[in-house]
Order: sequence, then C-alpha cells, then structure tokens
Amino acid sequence: MKISDAIHSLQELNFDLKYEVKNDNELYVRIKSDQIRKLVMICVDLYKFNYICEFSVEEEKPSNEGKVTSIKAKETTINCVFSNSKKGYYMILSYITDQKPIDISNIVYQSRLFQREINKDYDYKVKEVSGTGAYQVAVGPVHAGIIEPGHFRFSVMGEPIENLEIRLMYKYRGIEKQCVDINANSLNLMFERVSGESAVAYGEIYAILVEKILGSEVSDEIKAFRVVLLELERMYNYLDDLGGIANDIGYSYVAKKFGYFSEIIHQLCERISGSRFMRNAIVPLGINIDFDKQKKKDIIDTLQSLKERVSSIIKMSVNAVSFLDRVEDTGMVSRAMAKKLCMTGVVARACNLKYDVRVAFPYEIYREIKKSINIETKGGVFERYKLKCRELKDAFEFIEKALTYINVDIKRDKQEICLEEGLEALASVETVKGELVVYGLTGKDNKFDRIYFKTPSFTNWTGMSEAVLGEIIPDFPLINKSFNMSYSENDR
Amino acid sequence: MNNIFDRIKYGTETIKDPLKNNEFSYGKIVAKETACNNCGKCINECIVDAIKINTSAFGENKIDIDNKKCIYCRNCVDICPNSVLKMTSDYKMAELELAGDKLREKIYSVFKRSLVLRVVDTGSCNACMSELSAIQNTFYDISRFGVNVAASPRHADGLVVTGVVTINMKEALEKTYNAMAEPKIVIAVGSCAYNGGIFKEGDGVYGVLKNALPVDLVIPGCPPSPQAIIFAILKLMDKI
Repeated sequence: MKISDAIHSLQELNFDLKYEVKNDNELYVRIKSDQIRKLVMICVDLYKFNYICEFSVEEEKPSNEGKVTSIKAKETTINCVFSNSKKGYYMILSYITDQKPIDISNIVYQSRLFQREINKDYDYKVKEVSGTGAYQVAVGPVHAGIIEPGHFRFSVMGEPIENLEIRLMYKYRGIEKQCVDINANSLNLMFERVSGESAVAYGEIYAILVEKILGSEVSDEIKAFRVVLLELERMYNYLDDLGGIANDIGYSYVAKKFGYFSEIIHQLCERISGSRFMRNAIVPLGINIDFDKQKKKDIIDTLQSLKERVSSIIKMSVNAVSFLDRVEDTGMVSRAMAKKLCMTGVVARACNLKYDVRVAFPYEIYREIKKSINIETKGGVFERYKLKCRELKDAFEFIEKALTYINVDIKRDKQEICLEEGLEALASVETVKGELVVYGLTGKDNKFDRIYFKTPSFTNWTGMSEAVLGEIIPDFPLINKSFNMSYSENDR
Repeated sequence: MNNIFDRIKYGTETIKDPLKNNEFSYGKIVAKETACNNCGKCINECIVDAIKINTSAFGENKIDIDNKKCIYCRNCVDICPNSVLKMTSDYKMAELELAGDKLREKIYSVFKRSLVLRVVDTGSCNACMSELSAIQNTFYDISRFGVNVAASPRHADGLVVTGVVTINMKEALEKTYNAMAEPKIVIAVGSCAYNGGIFKEGDGVYGVLKNALPVDLVIPGCPPSPQAIIFAILKLMDKI
C-alpha cells in the first residue's frame, strides 16, 4: 500500500480527520480522540502496519487575558506512530486531549510501556510466586562487573525461571528535556551522549533529522563516508558482543581475541576521527573530519589484516562442542512474541522478523549497497550469535563498497544551521541494537521544542524477560549478553 | 588445539608500554599566550562552560580551560578565528585531589602492589563503561600492574564511578560506598562524574560526585581513553 493509497483508503472511511504529507514519507493524520481506537485497529489489523511508539507533545495555550482566575490550560497532543516497512513510510495518528491518553493496550500490547511514560506512572508492585520451591532472587541495581545499573527480580520455581521483572530507569537524566535548551548547532553533542556505544548512529540520526527539516542533501562522498563510520561502529559493537557471549560461556581464548579485535577497530577509529567513539564526526549538512587517501589506505589495510582472523576465531568458537552446548536452544523468543513486543534489530531478525531500517527506510547510500535482510528462524542465543557474525561480515563488505564511492579527498565542512519555527520531522536509523526513531519539532531561537527518542532498547528489554522464561538463572548472563541492550538509551 | 595453533601463529598481542605517546589521541587543549582578542566565540560554543577568559590589567587576555569540565568536542578549537586554541595529544591529565595531604599519601602507598576496584555506573552514557572494560583486554592488560575489578564492594579498595549521580542511583551509590572497608578511595572517571559534564542540568540528576562522596582521583575525558585510565591508576598507586 503506497502512501497515496493509504490516503485514499482513509478518505473512504468517512472519519472526521485531517491529513498532511510531510518530508515525502510521513503521513500526519489528526483525528478526534474518540476515534483513535477504531483507527488504530484499522492500522494494525487491516493495513498491517507496525506499531512504533507513542509520545506526547505538550502545548501550553496562552490563557485568556481578561480572566484573572484562569489557570493555564495544558493540552497534550498524543502521537501514535505506525510504519509501513514494505513501502517505507510513517503514519502518525495524533489527537489532542487534556486528560490521560486513551488506552489502546488491548489492541497494541506494547502501548502500555509508552503510556506509562506519558502518564509518569512509575509505581509498581513486584509480582510474587507461591508454591513449593518458589523463591525470588533480586539482582542489582549495582551488578558484579562492569555493567550499567538495573534491577532484575527473578521468580524461580526450583530451577527454572517463572517470571523476570526488569526495573530500569536508574539512569534517568532527563535528556529529552535538556535537548530543548541547546542550540541546534551543538545539539549533536547531546545526541551522541544518549548512548555512547552507538554515538555515530545518534549523530547520524540528528543529521538526518535536520536535513529532513531543511530539505537538503549532502554529496555522495560524504554519504559514503558516513556509511563507513556507521559500519565501523557496528563492527566494534558486534565484536564486543561476540566476545561477551564467549566470556559468559567460559571460552576465554575466543573472548579475549574478540576483545582485542574490538580494540584494533577502536584504534582505527581514533586514527580516522581523533575519538575512539567517533564523536562529533557526523554533523548536519556535512562532516566534521577530513578524509584523505592515507586514511583510506589505513582503513583498507587494517580491515584486510583483521578479516581472516575474525572469521577464523568465529569458526573456532562454533566448532567447539562445549560452546554449542550452551548456546543452542537457549533463550528462545517466538516470532509471534517478538512481533507482539515490537522487538527490533538483530534480536528481532533472529526470530524471523524481516525488518531492517537500512532496507525499509534506506538512508545515505544503503539503497545501493544493502540489498537483502539477514534473518534466522529459531530466535535463540545461537541464532543471535550467528546473525551478529553475519552482520559483522557484512560490515566488512559495506566498508569496502562504500570506500569505492570516495575517490576525492573530503574536506571538513561544518555549516551553520538555521531552523524555522514549527516544522516537524521523524527520522530513523538502524543502530547496532535496532531501530531508532527520533521525532523533532522545531521552536524559537534555533532550538527544538520537542525531541522524542524511541530507542531500540526500550522495547527490546521486554523481549528479554520473555526469553529467559523456563531457563535457569546461570543462563541469564548469557541471554542478557546475547541481547546486549543499552541501559543508558532506555533510561535517557 | 586450534587455540594453541592460533597462539603460536600470532604470539603475544599485548602492548609492552601502555603509556607510550599516542599522537592520534585527544588531549589537553592549550592556548597561545597573548593572541586572544576576547571575541568570546569559544565561550558561546562551549556547551559545558569550561572556558573562561581572564583579562589582566595590561589588557592581555588569558584563556583558562577547565580540563575536568571539558568534553573534548574540539568545537572551540575549530571556531577560534585566530587559532589561539590547540588540541594536543597529551592524554595524561589525571589529577589527584587532596594532594599534599600526608595522610592520604600514606594510604596510597598501601595500594602500591595491588588495587581492587569496584565499578559503579550512576548515569553515564556507557562509553566510559566500554573504556573501563577495554583496560582489561589483552592489548592493555591492566591486571599485570596488580589492578583488578572485584564483583563485590566488600572485596574492593577503590570505587570507580562513571557518569553524573542521578536521583535514582544516589542511594545505591552510598550503600556501595558504605559497604567498602577502610581505607578506601573514590575514582571519578569522565567529565560527567566529577563535574556533571553535559548532563549537569537534567531534571533527573541529583548532583555531581564531589558533592556526594570525597573524590581522590579525577580522570578527565569524554570518555577517557584506556591509556588515560591506566596512567591515572598507576599514578594513584605511586608507580610512576
């Protein structure tokens, strides 16, 4: 269903609605609040759209000047975002309410997660289990090892896990609110610090967002170079993940070697951009680092020397029986459950969900270089491991391909941004964890009025509490590492 | 078997001297003397307010950059019209707080041979965590200097804190600190931990680490590179 067909179909429905197409692939539909449930049901059941997120935009209406007693009426616009991954567009249903958002959680299950955030309803009661051999194990927020904080409550019956409650938000810093106070010219610094591991992807999404609002594009060389940076980031993250899985199994040789390769990539990044996490490299309307033949040769040489070794170490791990014994049939998530929980990224692709932002909503030069989506069927730890290996191999390939696009030296080019008031846009990027969607609404003084992050970890964390069911607690670290979700981007 | 072949073929992959000069690293930003004309562009550009320009009685402008606040984004270096500011590759910026205190020095010499650390993240962007796990990889291998990471605060001599202290993590941080045995030290990794950095004004932030706990060592950077962390820890242990 193309975007024009969707509009046509909406008109036939005879609802009281206004629609508007912005930035080519965003369909904004404004409706009355009593019709939202019907329309959401049509989107999910009839159009087969994917539910992405739900967020609020608060508008303070100026109160009537004549009346002294009137309090400022706070009206909230609730936006529900759906995507059509086959044709590559977003549909944003928005309605205005002065009360709580309308409950749609019996139509889309994950809506309760987002509505909890809108309502600021953070009270909870831990579920209890009772019976013979029933007990609870509480872990966190401070974990053993070098990990971020989060609380896990395992309810166990004898050995197998009956229920896992994941309580996060220990790292809530209020980044979305802080983004509003920062000038658009240096906002990319804040974006990059939402999640340090995927700093480039966050820099990239800011660039895409601003470029969408301004309606401009960058040259092909810069596009290709951005892909090189994005794929380099993917490489060190997946190498760390693979090393982590091997470490949790106890295969230390493989684990340490993956750690070493990741270090080599980090050093390569430092040589290219001056920062081990390539921060402040991608800026809107340009790129913030120089690139010449010497650096190109450096990348090609380093990756050439690494490629063989990485595949030999991967082979070494999958040939070990003790390794396979731990990973096979562990931490399974079914396809239906993954769909219900709106999981994205590698984790979802391991469950046979064919969805990749790089293919569905191609950005930069992914349209030319990425043709197919890697998927696995069973959805366990081993599938995620295999998929990460394949994404890693792809990353080597993509960098090689992208470098062929760059035949001239790229000069550093950072331009001043001037944003008009009242424009909105939705951008999406495939980070290492999954689909990242950012909504931006511009305001006065070259600043944004609202920034909303739908981070991939936010929905994928619930997938993990599904994956551990029936497993034993010693397998939990392994499953956790195979998901490897970011606490930081979830908490924001 | 494959492990042994691989090991023989590629040998040791550990760097001998982890503190060798790294010309590509980011580092201290230095300012040329007497070249600044006080245009104030760098102050506007800096989003963490790390730059101050002091004008002396003779009309000379001296730029003062706070290493512990700086997030090393290089925007000030790029924007300066007279190219007064310059980024060096000197990553050795770590400083001992409470220096000169004889009693503290005595405590540091206790940890000269071995130091067991406990890492707590109180609100970082997880880049610092990534770098902290990188100091344990085979390339840097900090355990050869006797530095290890413990799983429990009861076994630890030092508490490593990354990120700003959020309201939700404050209690957990204090409990971890109180669970540690005396003598104990606190290490702040990254600009956020000591000075709030970029997240200072967030509405979920309680404050900075120096207001919550006594800090002994500050490792500036965003994130500090493994080399910077190793330098700082060795400095604390009085090995260099």
